[in-house]
Amino acid sequence: MNSIEYILFITFIGAGLTFIVHHALPKLRDTLAILVSALDLYFVIQAISEKSKVVLSIADFHLIWKTTPYNNLFAVLIAVLGFLTILYAHDFMSSKDRLGYFYMNFLFALGGMYGIVYSQDFISLFFFWEIMTWASFLLVIYCCKDAQPIGLKYFVFSAIGAYSLLIAIVMLYSLSGNLELTNLISNFSNFSVSNQLIVVTLLLLGFGVKSAIMPLHVWAPGAYFISPSPFTALFSGALSKMGIFGIGLVLFKFAAQSGYFSYVQIILAWIGGITALLATFYAIFQTDAKKLLAYSSIGQLGYIIIGLAIGTPLSIASALFLTILHAAFKAMLFMATGAVYFRTGTTDMNSVSGLIRKMPFSFITALFGIITVSGVPPLGGFAAKWMLYESLIQSRHYFLVIVVFAASTAAFLYLYRFIFSLFLGQEEKEWEDVKEAPLLMVIPMLILSAFVLVVGVFPGLILDPISQSMNYLGNFNFNYETSVLFNEWGNQVDMQTVVNTIGAVFLIVGLIITFKGFKKTRYVSTKDIHTSGEIPQENENLTYAVDFYKPFERAIAPILKSSIDKIYTGIANNLEQAFDYLRYVYTGNGQTYAMYVVFFLSLLILFAELIFGINL
Amino acid sequence: MSPVHFIAVPLFAAFLIPLIGKVSKELVKIIPGIVLLYLSYLSISLFPIGVNRPIVEIIAGFNPPFGITLYYGPIAAFLTTLITLVGFVIWLYSYKFIIREPTEKYYMLFMMLITGSTGIVLTGDIFNLFVFFEITSIAAYSLTAFLRDRDGAEAAFKYLLIGSFASTFFLLAIAIIYANIHTLNLADIASKIKDIPLTTRLFILILIIIGLGIESEMFPLNGWAPDAYSQAPSPVGAVFGGIVVKAAIYSLMRIIFLMFHTADVLHFLVVMGVITLLIAEMSAMKQQQIKRMLAFSSIGQMGLVIIAFGVGTEPSVRAAMFQMFNHALIKSLLFFAAGYLVFHSGSKKISALDGLGHDKPITSFFFAFGALAIIGLPPFSGFWSKLYILLSVADAGLMVPVVLILISSIIEAVYYLRVVSRLYFYKEEATDVRRTPVSGLVAMGILTVVILIVGFYPNLILHWMTPAANDLLDKAAYIKFGLFH
Amino acid sequence: MEINWSTILGIIFTPIIAFIVGVTYGGLTRVITARVQNRYGPPIFQNLLDIIKLYSKESNINHGVMQHLGPVFAITASVTTLFFVPVIKDSTVFTNFSFHGDLIFLLYIMVFGSLGMALGAGQTGNPNSAIGVSRGLSQLVGYEVPFVMALVAIMIQFQTTNLNDLLAVQDHFTKWIIFQSPFAFLAAILAFLGMMGYAPFDVVIAPAEIASGPPSEFGGKYLGLMLTSRSIFTFAKLVLFTDIFLGGASDFITLLIKTFILYMIPVLTGIVFPRYRTEQSIRFFWSWPLFFGIIAILVVVF
Repeated sequence: MNSIEYILFITFIGAGLTFIVHHALPKLRDTLAILVSALDLYFVIQAISEKSKVVLSIADFHLIWKTTPYNNLFAVLIAVLGFLTILYAHDFMSSKDRLGYFYMNFLFALGGMYGIVYSQDFISLFFFWEIMTWASFLLVIYCCKDAQPIGLKYFVFSAIGAYSLLIAIVMLYSLSGNLELTNLISNFSNFSVSNQLIVVTLLLLGFGVKSAIMPLHVWAPGAYFISPSPFTALFSGALSKMGIFGIGLVLFKFAAQSGYFSYVQIILAWIGGITALLATFYAIFQTDAKKLLAYSSIGQLGYIIIGLAIGTPLSIASALFLTILHAAFKAMLFMATGAVYFRTGTTDMNSVSGLIRKMPFSFITALFGIITVSGVPPLGGFAAKWMLYESLIQSRHYFLVIVVFAASTAAFLYLYRFIFSLFLGQEEKEWEDVKEAPLLMVIPMLILSAFVLVVGVFPGLILDPISQSMNYLGNFNFNYETSVLFNEWGNQVDMQTVVNTIGAVFLIVGLIITFKGFKKTRYVSTKDIHTSGEIPQENENLTYAVDFYKPFERAIAPILKSSIDKIYTGIANNLEQAFDYLRYVYTGNGQTYAMYVVFFLSLLILFAELIFGINL
Repeated sequence: MSPVHFIAVPLFAAFLIPLIGKVSKELVKIIPGIVLLYLSYLSISLFPIGVNRPIVEIIAGFNPPFGITLYYGPIAAFLTTLITLVGFVIWLYSYKFIIREPTEKYYMLFMMLITGSTGIVLTGDIFNLFVFFEITSIAAYSLTAFLRDRDGAEAAFKYLLIGSFASTFFLLAIAIIYANIHTLNLADIASKIKDIPLTTRLFILILIIIGLGIESEMFPLNGWAPDAYSQAPSPVGAVFGGIVVKAAIYSLMRIIFLMFHTADVLHFLVVMGVITLLIAEMSAMKQQQIKRMLAFSSIGQMGLVIIAFGVGTEPSVRAAMFQMFNHALIKSLLFFAAGYLVFHSGSKKISALDGLGHDKPITSFFFAFGALAIIGLPPFSGFWSKLYILLSVADAGLMVPVVLILISSIIEAVYYLRVVSRLYFYKEEATDVRRTPVSGLVAMGILTVVILIVGFYPNLILHWMTPAANDLLDKAAYIKFGLFH
Repeated sequence: MEINWSTILGIIFTPIIAFIVGVTYGGLTRVITARVQNRYGPPIFQNLLDIIKLYSKESNINHGVMQHLGPVFAITASVTTLFFVPVIKDSTVFTNFSFHGDLIFLLYIMVFGSLGMALGAGQTGNPNSAIGVSRGLSQLVGYEVPFVMALVAIMIQFQTTNLNDLLAVQDHFTKWIIFQSPFAFLAAILAFLGMMGYAPFDVVIAPAEIASGPPSEFGGKYLGLMLTSRSIFTFAKLVLFTDIFLGGASDFITLLIKTFILYMIPVLTGIVFPRYRTEQSIRFFWSWPLFFGIIAILVVVF
């Protein structure tokens, strides 16, 4: 058996075992899950050097799994994130029930993702795509009764996506009689233009749903919000990246072969841009931290899609860079939010506040997370954003770059609100006894924080695998050094200098201000503040959290008025209403049924020749 | 060892059961099991022979086309195996489920149903087909009303009403055929059908479509089905969905492919299949009762099968058979699980199922499993058959049905998952402590395992589908073997 | 990055010069404002005196680590921004690290400080601070958009994102970008009004309304540090605009003249206008400045 076989085997058998173990030996369950994900990580790394290939004949198809640089990139992402989130889940989920169910589906989702990224043919891709979908659906509905409609929405949209994939797959099959990726790629240019266009559109649609591009994003806020936090981290960090994985494949392996590629690029890039902008606006007005992060996630995936769609070496590099980074920082943010939830039982930003002194590590994680998201140097986010802007400007997408910039500036708003509401602000009595999250939850968060810091200083470290996988996608070369980024005009940004400058100034000033009598100062509570002479009472709530961005909301009110979600809900409700009427075709009255028979008979007799033809 | 056993043994058992019932109630319950076990064994051991070369059994010494023949070809081999195996599982399930008197009548009717269904599949004679059809139908009417309540009786009456249309039209068609070409042997008719004037042939076709379409649950002839499925005892629902309807579809397709194999007829089938599928799935969406919902789902699945048959290419027919196989298994599983869920919740309503997943984890698990499988999600067997149907339909250039099939799949997913969500995630307090009997669990367990195994190794079944599909499509071979064996 | 004497000289003297110039401009502003309002006004070096006074004060209380570090973030950003802008054209000392970063980097490092400051202000728990931050960030979204449009237009026109390259292009005063790309300048200068935070765009501090907003809980050395940072940052922004639009400066005299003229634009505007509400100011930035920005880009494209 080679590594890929091990990975798939271990994950799926492990998933089944955790379920059984949960009922037999509940104590071993978490250890088993952690073990499975650790083994996965080991074998995923093993697979990189091994160049494994698996061919399996099921039904009439050859299912092929293989390691390519592109696959490895995503597999490592999944494996690392899977391992960390399972580690995190150990304490987070400890007080919950139905853990066998939880871990089983968690591992199924993981296994599904491994199957997808390594697959080299569309059957196995779709096979695992669906496994991943239902496993994640079952996790979305894990929590409670409220999750049911949300889960259903998630499933319906996933099904729409999956079935458009499936239509594309059956089309490809009927066009070329084969579903192996290498084969299809080489045959693709032989298809007629309209077929190419339909296939590409359907594939993009299918993958697009998972990466929540507008207007197919409506499932995401709810699903991210309601799923248990360890899974949300994986969901947003890795699972949604499967869409990105597919889009990259479709764009550069298929669409790039045809003449209309530039139109596909433009349309997709603008969809990405609008997704980024609108999702950011929606994120600003959320009152729940997890929902905020959910919208933020949608927006970030918008950037990634722009990067892929533009298709210059630098933009693809930025997209893949952001893919990895987003996995890290969104996991960090969801984990930090989860830690808050774990200790306070809520993620409502209007009620939680001032946790910084109680949960310092979670705060640091959240801080690093938001700095990375915002793209402010010196953390990793800057490199990604920088490459994206440069490539957009240099590939002459002038207005798109404005949209992207507006979106990422507006992102400051929700990021600040997120960290301010949860960790800063007034320290309320209600949260006086809150403690830092358990060690096993803190460790994954800190690991990821360290990662974004290192990547910020030395983006070249992950640009190496990225440039390898870009060479797999096509002939994309770009210039970079371990800590220096170059754009196409040859201008550079030297992260080393930047970090040295920032670090030095920060340290010098920081030390001066600290040694200048910090010891003498005493900490005063957040009630002891300047309030124009009024003395706030202990029980008085001074937190400014409700309608935090009301002025901004007023400024952009016209944009927010229409909601695609409402339209979908309207359609769904009308359809259900229609179905409800339709079921009265079956009146329950025998006479009616008899009448149907007679009616059908006379219809057939009347139009017999028309229907059955004369050459019977 | 002869295909005759498939008909003779259960028929004999059916007559024997009331007599034995006078002696021992327990024996009544066991005998069908033994019979079905024997038939399963028989079907599996005959399978390779039948697939290689059709066995044509001549009854009473008259050679075809004058005598009645049994035609045990690949497709018959496949269907009898399916019927007997599903029948055995249903018996296993019924063993503890049917505790209400009169059990001997239940088992007698059950045996008659098996007789009729295998008879339909095996016979090479159209009048004989009609007779078996009547056996099946009458048994089915009675089983629908088995609970002897008001709803059951009403449903049975409706079934009877519509069923009598079916019999009448079918018989009329046979009469017209006989009047024109003086033969009742299917192979013989197939070779002589062109002798009948066109308008008469059209009329025969219409009568057959109506007559067999009623049992095949084709829209708009399927009004009886939701009531019958939902009012009959749960194992009977499984019998209808898993056995009767499969036999009916087989007979319809056999006749159409033998006698009316033209592009227009096939197109008509595709269109009817799509309509059946869509209307059934849409109607299922807002059903209040779980078994009614399953009934509509069943109709929808039959629509899918009809589409696949209607495409009429070898891969599509193969896919249709595979789908029949999967549907028989999965729908039986769903009916089994639903039976106990209804039993435990004490109401047929879906809303009464809230939180049963906590009290009845295993039964609920089976239902959830079946739901995922029937939606066509991997790694369950339903995935492959749906995939094959889509591939073959697309291969024939029919993209619109592909899209419609997938839309209906989404609807299907919605209503199944709603129920699954209710089972697990609503209301949590325990209400009922009665246990699901072991025999029921074993029955469901067997189906689950098979569904999973076939999901991972579809070749196990698919392998046998190619000869079966060819058997259906190759009219010349049928005539050759049927007449001159 | 090579370390040599000119680098070290630059590192030491640039911030000092920036601070002195910035603080003097601040004092001048107060005088000018006073004269316009028919008052006498404080001495020009009042601001410097204020800062010295603040540093010499002892702080007795703090609200926690983030509050403590907030001003440090602010000054870090100001100084870093300064280091990545070429202060004197073609000077080996005062170009500092400007070859190692570009305009997009500057855009981001410029917000670094206000975000750090916002975090510090957040921890104090003062509702006025939070309100100020909320307004400030909202307004930021407003003026960044036209500003970026102007920059994008320029970047496209001259095919570079580095300030030194832009300086090299403007070797004669007729080639100043203000003349080559006037619409970009219009968009940028209107955004500049918002960036400087004088009226009518002073909702963030909003004296007499939210008690000076974000800094309201800062005093003593913290406030001193913030004012220092503000002086340096003002200078850095002025130099940046000079470099982009006015061809930079080869000596300090030219630099002072150009920056002072630039500086007077927001100051004088501020004197005569009342305060906008937040949404009004956002809408303002998304009307004319945005329009100019679009024109600037369109002019470049066609």
